[in-house]
Amino acid sequence: MKKQRIRILMVRLGMDAHWRGSIVVARALRDAGMEVIYGGNQMPANIVKMALQEDVDIIGLSSLSGNHLMLAPEVVKLLKKEKAQDIKVIFGGTVPPDDVPILKKAGIAAVFGPGSSLQKIIASVEALKRNY
Amino acid sequence: MKTGIFNQNRIKEVARETADWEENSYSCQQRLKDKYETLSGFKVKPLYTPDDVAGLDYLRDLGYPGKGPFIRGVHPTMYRGRTWTHRQLAGFGPPEETNKRYKFLLQQGATGINGVFDYPTLRGYSSDDPDVYADVGRGGVAIDTIGDMRTLFDDIPIDKVSVSLVTCQPICNISVQSMYFANALDRGIPLANLAGTSQNDFLMETATTIAPGVLPPRASFKISCDAIEFCTKYAPQWNPISFAGYNYREAGCTAPQEIAFVIAHALACAEDMLARGLKIDNFSKRLSFFLSAHNDFFEEIAKYRAARRVYYHVMKKRYHPQDPRSLMFRFHVQTAGVALTAQQPLNNIARSAYHALAAVLGGAQSVHVDAYDEALCTPTELSSVTALRTQQILRNETGVTNTIDPLGGSYYLESLTNSMEAEVLRILDDIDRIGGLVKAVEKGWIHGEIAAAAYKYQLDVESGAMPIVGVNCYQIEDEVLPIELFSSPETVKVQTRKLKKIKKTRNAGAVAKSLDAIAGCCERNKNLMKLMVGEVKNFLTEGEISRTLKRVYGVWEPPLF
Repeated sequence: MKKQRIRILMVRLGMDAHWRGSIVVARALRDAGMEVIYGGNQMPANIVKMALQEDVDIIGLSSLSGNHLMLAPEVVKLLKKEKAQDIKVIFGGTVPPDDVPILKKAGIAAVFGPGSSLQKIIASVEALKRNY
Repeated sequence: MKTGIFNQNRIKEVARETADWEENSYSCQQRLKDKYETLSGFKVKPLYTPDDVAGLDYLRDLGYPGKGPFIRGVHPTMYRGRTWTHRQLAGFGPPEETNKRYKFLLQQGATGINGVFDYPTLRGYSSDDPDVYADVGRGGVAIDTIGDMRTLFDDIPIDKVSVSLVTCQPICNISVQSMYFANALDRGIPLANLAGTSQNDFLMETATTIAPGVLPPRASFKISCDAIEFCTKYAPQWNPISFAGYNYREAGCTAPQEIAFVIAHALACAEDMLARGLKIDNFSKRLSFFLSAHNDFFEEIAKYRAARRVYYHVMKKRYHPQDPRSLMFRFHVQTAGVALTAQQPLNNIARSAYHALAAVLGGAQSVHVDAYDEALCTPTELSSVTALRTQQILRNETGVTNTIDPLGGSYYLESLTNSMEAEVLRILDDIDRIGGLVKAVEKGWIHGEIAAAAYKYQLDVESGAMPIVGVNCYQIEDEVLPIELFSSPETVKVQTRKLKKIKKTRNAGAVAKSLDAIAGCCERNKNLMKLMVGEVKNFLTEGEISRTLKRVYGVWEPPLF
């Protein structure tokens, strides 16, 4: 059976335009054999729209500004509304440890704080795809 | 007359002895690593001797502080005459909150103000614009109208203290700096009396921090040059641009790229000013630089020294200024944020202290030390004060400021400075061949270079080739954070309430007229800052101004991935 390539939409959540982390992760995922669509800065409604249009398996959210509690759960909610909850959402960026369980509870499948390893992120994305 | 400092015959003997030592003493012992390189990839030898700088001519290559090529320092007395400015960043929430932090830092001994703006403000949006609500007050202070500027600097002597406005992008700077100037005039302070700096860097808008739908590079560059021209004529003590090498470096570029890109940027601005009819000595002395202080201690010091010498020679050769100040590479340093960790954050105090030491041994004019919670949040009062104390301890307790350029003459440092200089010149050649910095941005070349360097850096961290204490070595499992994190004050409600009131009470007709005038100014390619300083008194919002600019100039999709 032909192995399908994982499709992942990488976006920056909200206004902050620092792109280093998200581009480095996007490159690593691409080098690991995934199809990566880089959406730049977007808000939740547009992120979900893009995810559906591009028919992705995973959405990778990146944020350094501290807006994660306000916006990341919104992405999960909107996916549910579109009956697209099979699209998994992961988050990377500046997240204080206390906020990690809050994001997980809101339906974010994995959270990667500063200093996270690319290998761990790749493994996590592959595991998420395998699990459905 | 040559003033080579080494007797060339003795140098030959040194070379022989060094080769002998390397073969018969050094090579026989075990080494811990296979490869020794600086952070940016310069090979490092086990030992440096006079042979490595055999051609060094003291008067030609090093000279004296305050005289070309300025490598030993831009001023004759350096820190014996005047300490570097302790310019700690501050900015969060609504302007009334940041005003308090500015005052606190000044009371604690800061000698300059360094103001950061929130993400919506940096990108040219107002707090009541759709889609920005989650970021209002984050990363800096929210500034929407001249009213906010008034509040931000309320009861602060802006005619006596030097103020840096970290506007980052020209689309932010054109509004925010215009509001700052207009507010100063309202307070009865002539623009000629204002000392300070604006970042105003078009690479921040179109390359190093970018998002979809930004101003095109040429438009962003044009309005940044409008600010330079305006300040040259009306605010001669103001540094209208601060080439943000720090941010290029944070985005991932190497040390030589950091210097090459800022110098290429200075050259692009110089060309533009000359095309506008200004003379090199009118504006060049106010072109200022903003650099990082990263981990590799000696590489950073070599970087600063190479920057001064390269800038001197490149500017002299191209433009022949008469005023020596036109050839001085003056710079502010921020210690590298990207080198700090969320893991075991108190370790960052040590890191930032080493970074600050490099900056001072490298002759910086002004320094910001990052707070230990940099990787986690906006600085708390405690972490900001600790960072400020790092500077004060460095200045008062270590003795490193007792003499100028104390590391000058070190065989390693001078050799590394020479290598850095050669690499910077090579990159400048590359940019020249592309057609200058603006073209290099339009073509996505800058983005590619920075992204490639960032990716390599991360792969080195992954492999362990770049150890980071607490992250890929010496980790603590299930670490409990020993620090309190900053909590952003309520901002979006505060600012949107203000804006509602302003929009009700301001003269709508005057606002419409102002925005029309701004559009017309852009269409006719006139100086936008000259117009805006007069128009912002009508309580135009930053969002309204930016939308007008984007309507006229269009928007650009950056070629990032």
